[in-house]
Amino acid sequence: MSTPASAPSFELPSVLGGSVALADLHAGGAAVLVFVSEECPTSAMTLRRLAPAVEPLRGAGVALVAVFEDPPELAARAARRARFSGTVLSEPAPYEVSRAYGLQTVPTTVLIDRDGAERERVVGWDRERLQELLARAAGGVGAELDVRLDGAAPQLKPGCAAKCAYDADTLALLARAGAQDELEEMFERGWSDGLPVIPPTRDRVEAMLGGLDGRQSLGPVPPAMGEATLERVAACAVLAGCRPEYFPVVVAAVEAVLDPAFNLGGQAVTTQPAGQLIVVNGPVAEAIGLNAGVGALGPGWRANMTIGRALRLVVSLTGGGFPGRLDRSTLGNPGKIGLCVAEDERGSPWEPLHVERGFEAGSSVVTVIGCDAPLSISDHRSRAPEELARVLGWAAAATWSPNWWPLGGTSVFVICPEHAQLFAQAGWSKRRLRNEIFEAVRRPAGELRWGETTPVVQRAADGEPIHKWERPEDIVLIVAGGEAGRYSAVLGPCLGMDAQIVSRRVRWRG
Amino acid sequence: MSSTDYVSPFDERRRVGEPLAPRPAAIAGLTVALLDINKRQSDVFLDRIEERLRADGARTFRLVKQIFSRAAEPQVIRRIADRGDLAVEGLAD
Repeated sequence: MSTPASAPSFELPSVLGGSVALADLHAGGAAVLVFVSEECPTSAMTLRRLAPAVEPLRGAGVALVAVFEDPPELAARAARRARFSGTVLSEPAPYEVSRAYGLQTVPTTVLIDRDGAERERVVGWDRERLQELLARAAGGVGAELDVRLDGAAPQLKPGCAAKCAYDADTLALLARAGAQDELEEMFERGWSDGLPVIPPTRDRVEAMLGGLDGRQSLGPVPPAMGEATLERVAACAVLAGCRPEYFPVVVAAVEAVLDPAFNLGGQAVTTQPAGQLIVVNGPVAEAIGLNAGVGALGPGWRANMTIGRALRLVVSLTGGGFPGRLDRSTLGNPGKIGLCVAEDERGSPWEPLHVERGFEAGSSVVTVIGCDAPLSISDHRSRAPEELARVLGWAAAATWSPNWWPLGGTSVFVICPEHAQLFAQAGWSKRRLRNEIFEAVRRPAGELRWGETTPVVQRAADGEPIHKWERPEDIVLIVAGGEAGRYSAVLGPCLGMDAQIVSRRVRWRG
Repeated sequence: MSSTDYVSPFDERRRVGEPLAPRPAAIAGLTVALLDINKRQSDVFLDRIEERLRADGARTFRLVKQIFSRAAEPQVIRRIADRGDLAVEGLAD
């Protein structure tokens, strides 16, 4: 028997970075090289069907290696789509390695033994011969392969011409046709909330950072405690579609949710539907185009939509709180895509939220609140402030549950300008409205004792009045919305989290 | 072709799961920590688990988290690690 010829040696870039030499691949016992190309359907099928053999072979000391006649990013994408977890190498034009192996067709599978000699090759998809080749690869290192390759049709399929066999003009045509689909790749990488995203290229992320040091960290993000470096936060802001001028608001929102008092960890994993509402106050809101007017709770305004979304991407991607994985929300709610609103400070008759919370009027501040979805409250007929306060309050009476009194959490009321004017004309302050809503919504304990109710109700005598809220301060009031239409809204609570409302100043130079 | 030098939103170090500790072949003679998450009916669940563990020859001890929606306090985790061979964290509702 003649001694097999040494296979041509090579060193090629790995899609994981660095380069890999043939000698490293067969050092463990043997290597199976699968020469493939991204646009070849037979290559894709072969990789997909060989994929289950990767780990068993690896365990036996045999490397199963895909060698793509493509740039690394295309090779990585094709391997990911095939769920191929073996080593993936990229061979750039002019394909000298393929040529050295005498390739005419991809896929071509070549078995290299421990000594670097070629033992066998299979051209195209040939299930039976590939099964034998893999068994021989394992047998060569004294192992038995316990994997059967997919037996579905086709059993045989010819491949495509190897690129090393093309002329220069054809290669140029292929390069244009093969330009990758970046948007699809974002989904494949899992860098999405289910909607298309803007690819976070380094240039875009640098622009988002605006000179900030991307290595600086805002801290670990629950629940998986991924580190929120500014670079990663900027990547999320790019993915979300933010403009660079929004970034100071995104950063402030991330800082706010990472305050332990906010209990993001609890909010991110709960079965409740709650998301994180961002309220923006101060001059930054108008300067970056945040909407506080018509359609304030969205959609339609880029700043509102993308700032809220950027925060949610930080929570779900960097923090690992992705729906269905660590985020166990039973139903979720559309507000969890992102919910960011500016307060209409000019249209409001009252002091804005950030001033209530101790900041000076001219400062720019972000406030984050764990919240359920908005519930609309229509009232076009009330003429007395007491009447309207009752309507608003009683709309919130069924939030969380009709019998869960007191709530033990916060309700956020978004008061529309026409409703706000009615209160203002009556001379009502924010404090007055808060107290009136609080006092209006109470019921005898006996009427709340069905289904699930609270320990407070369980302990109370039948006739004892129970308030919907523990205290008036649990009612948060902001003003926003279009000038016409008497629709306010209330956002239900996130309960059981011991979660506080948190505000952070926006580091912004107007 | 567009630039493909992307910045990942993931912290890759945190995406590699911690390996599970080796599973014991039997629980007889082992000490099991039963961690109550401090939510309604967590104790009902753990009472039943405790009965079954004891019937199988395990020793048990109980701990309670301060609040169900936050991670267990470091001292609670330390006590579990110091005294227990195994731990069961009880759910609720």
